[in-house]
Amino acid sequence: MRKRQLAVRLAAVTAASAIVAAAATVVPTAGAAVKATAASGSTTLKLVVADYGTGPSNTSAKYWKGIADAFHKQYPSITVKITDIPWTNFDSEVQTMIQNHNYPDITEGDYFQDYAQQGLLYTAKQVLSDPKSLLPVFAKQGTYNGKQYGMPWTTSSRTLFYNKKLFKKAGIKTAPGTWAELQADAAKITKLGDVGFGLPLGTEEAQAESLLWFLGDGGNFTNSAGKWTINSAANVTAFTFLKNLVAAGDTEPNPGTQDRTPLWEQFAAGKVGMINGSPALIPIIQGAKVLSSSEWGSVPIAGKNGPLADTLGVCDNVAAFKSNGHEAQIKEFLNFAYQNKYQLQFDREYDLLPATVSAAAALKSDPTFGSFIDALPKAVQYPSSTSWAQVKTDIQNTIGTAVTGDPASVLGQLQSQAVQLGS
Amino acid sequence: MNEQTNITIHTPWPTRLGYALRPLLWIGPALALIVVVVLWPVVVLIHASFQNIAADGFVVGGAGFSNFKDLWHEPALKGVVFRTVIWVVLAVSLTLLISLALAQLFNQHFPFRRAARTALIAPWAASVMMTALIFRWALDPYSGAINIVLHALGIVHRMGSVQADWLGRPGWAIFWMLIVAIFVSLPFTTYALLSGLQTIPDEVYEAARVDGSSPWRTYWSITLPLLKPAILVATTINVINVFNSFPIIWEMTRGGPGYETSTTTTFMFILKQAFIGESAAMSVVNFMLVIVVVLLFLKTTRWKEQVND
Repeated sequence: MRKRQLAVRLAAVTAASAIVAAAATVVPTAGAAVKATAASGSTTLKLVVADYGTGPSNTSAKYWKGIADAFHKQYPSITVKITDIPWTNFDSEVQTMIQNHNYPDITEGDYFQDYAQQGLLYTAKQVLSDPKSLLPVFAKQGTYNGKQYGMPWTTSSRTLFYNKKLFKKAGIKTAPGTWAELQADAAKITKLGDVGFGLPLGTEEAQAESLLWFLGDGGNFTNSAGKWTINSAANVTAFTFLKNLVAAGDTEPNPGTQDRTPLWEQFAAGKVGMINGSPALIPIIQGAKVLSSSEWGSVPIAGKNGPLADTLGVCDNVAAFKSNGHEAQIKEFLNFAYQNKYQLQFDREYDLLPATVSAAAALKSDPTFGSFIDALPKAVQYPSSTSWAQVKTDIQNTIGTAVTGDPASVLGQLQSQAVQLGS
Repeated sequence: MNEQTNITIHTPWPTRLGYALRPLLWIGPALALIVVVVLWPVVVLIHASFQNIAADGFVVGGAGFSNFKDLWHEPALKGVVFRTVIWVVLAVSLTLLISLALAQLFNQHFPFRRAARTALIAPWAASVMMTALIFRWALDPYSGAINIVLHALGIVHRMGSVQADWLGRPGWAIFWMLIVAIFVSLPFTTYALLSGLQTIPDEVYEAARVDGSSPWRTYWSITLPLLKPAILVATTINVINVFNSFPIIWEMTRGGPGYETSTTTTFMFILKQAFIGESAAMSVVNFMLVIVVVLLFLKTTRWKEQVND
């Protein structure tokens, strides 16, 4: 029996060192983690995070390592092992971990309601001393059956970014507020040989771009009762407008195949007139060093008859997994990580918005973030139903064809698939 | 036959069993490998296709045939299957035609033949994913090398235009992906045919020459028929490879826009993001398709006779 235990432990250690060897982005504390598995009384928390960095110099692994090291000093018996995953692979890699029952303790990034449904997660109450410290407007998205599981970590809201240099060159004085103005401006910029409006309807984040256009005509994915309304008249109108915009050549070629990140990079390179973006676009612009801070601007998103009052707000969530039984340790770590200091450090590092009430208050008068913070309480969010993950995949894969095909039939198809998946 | 009967009469049964089992010693490891690596996954796959699996991988319960029904009702399925057929037929037949010519060329004596033959291996040696990526970059609408050349030639009128965005338009995307598929299939096919060519004895050609046969006639009546076994092997393996060729399509278009450049293989992968059971059903269908197509092909070409000859 003893022998067997030893064998198991050995296997665990070997496996751990294999993981250490295999993962490219492992914190230096990982070596210590291997030892920790063998010693008694110490715990290793597996923290899996999405990478918000724009390059090797500011990866999320670096940010989290700062927290993990400070935490380890205060709680020597808990070691945090960080794995950071590029955004484009985050969903699929986390899903693969769960599918293979190789559970993380904490994830930070996209959040899946089905994990709560499956009973895999701790509630916010179990792993946070004060769940009320989180911004209340984002609580609903992480709530299942009346209990909050997803804890917002960082938030952002969308605005319309525009290139002032190109606007000037094209003789346009102000940023557009309505669809008609937007189309006229896009046409003028296209004439200069640049992309008028960047429209990323490829698989990366087609659901966000679509929602911003739906909102412009008072549409949404669901109605207030939570029923799917993907092919509502307002939504079809929005995509009919987009179809005309594409046909006129005022966007990049074939928007249905264009992902957000490369288009944002093109905007940063000064080749796109307008694009819907989040604060996460700011570091990309700064990194490209083409547009100075006075050469681009950000305004509320254009709607059919005027700028949007409520814009899309998204939050990325922390989720705590039950499977490894580390409730107490996770609680220690999350209480530590949610300090104002780290929230603000995150926002400065990645140009995103905070998720706690106190950190938001601290940023209220900030020149860059102040206006975004004001918009947060009115943020429109994605549906919070359990089928959203599947509906979202369908939308990402096919909604882009609505600007080349028939908007009503593409949206109708998505609607009937969504209805079948349930609300 | 007689010898064997003798053994069975004169030896007691434990020894007979020993005789019968002896070959297992030699083929056992290979057999075990096949069972574990080939057959077991097939069993698991088929099992999964009858399960109701949530998007995060949890088995919710049995699903009966509902995964297959969902797949059948998938609006994109018809186009995907049609495209797969076109994809396989075009890629394999064009590869074969070009390889026949290439093999003929490489069978001639010419200076630096060895170097030329070695160079042919390059597309084979490079990872298919890398090749596909290189082509994708070369086709970039703003700065791709191929587009720059086409622009200089006056074929592409404006960089960054819809026309320059070859991979964004389904028809042209498939055209370019076919070129990549053929490019990476050529080395193997050419070598298979080349080795076939080298097994044809010179005497046969000499006899043809004596009979006054024209070169074209010789090729048609002697080379091609004698090359048939090599062509069969090359075709079968290419059909399987091209049917399953995931990296080319995935790296170049991700099967998009929509599913308009997807084949059944990439479609299966896309489904797996959120519809695991249905994706397993698609895999089962793929698996059956390959088997049926290969069996049909081998039957119509009377594979056995060819091999036994």
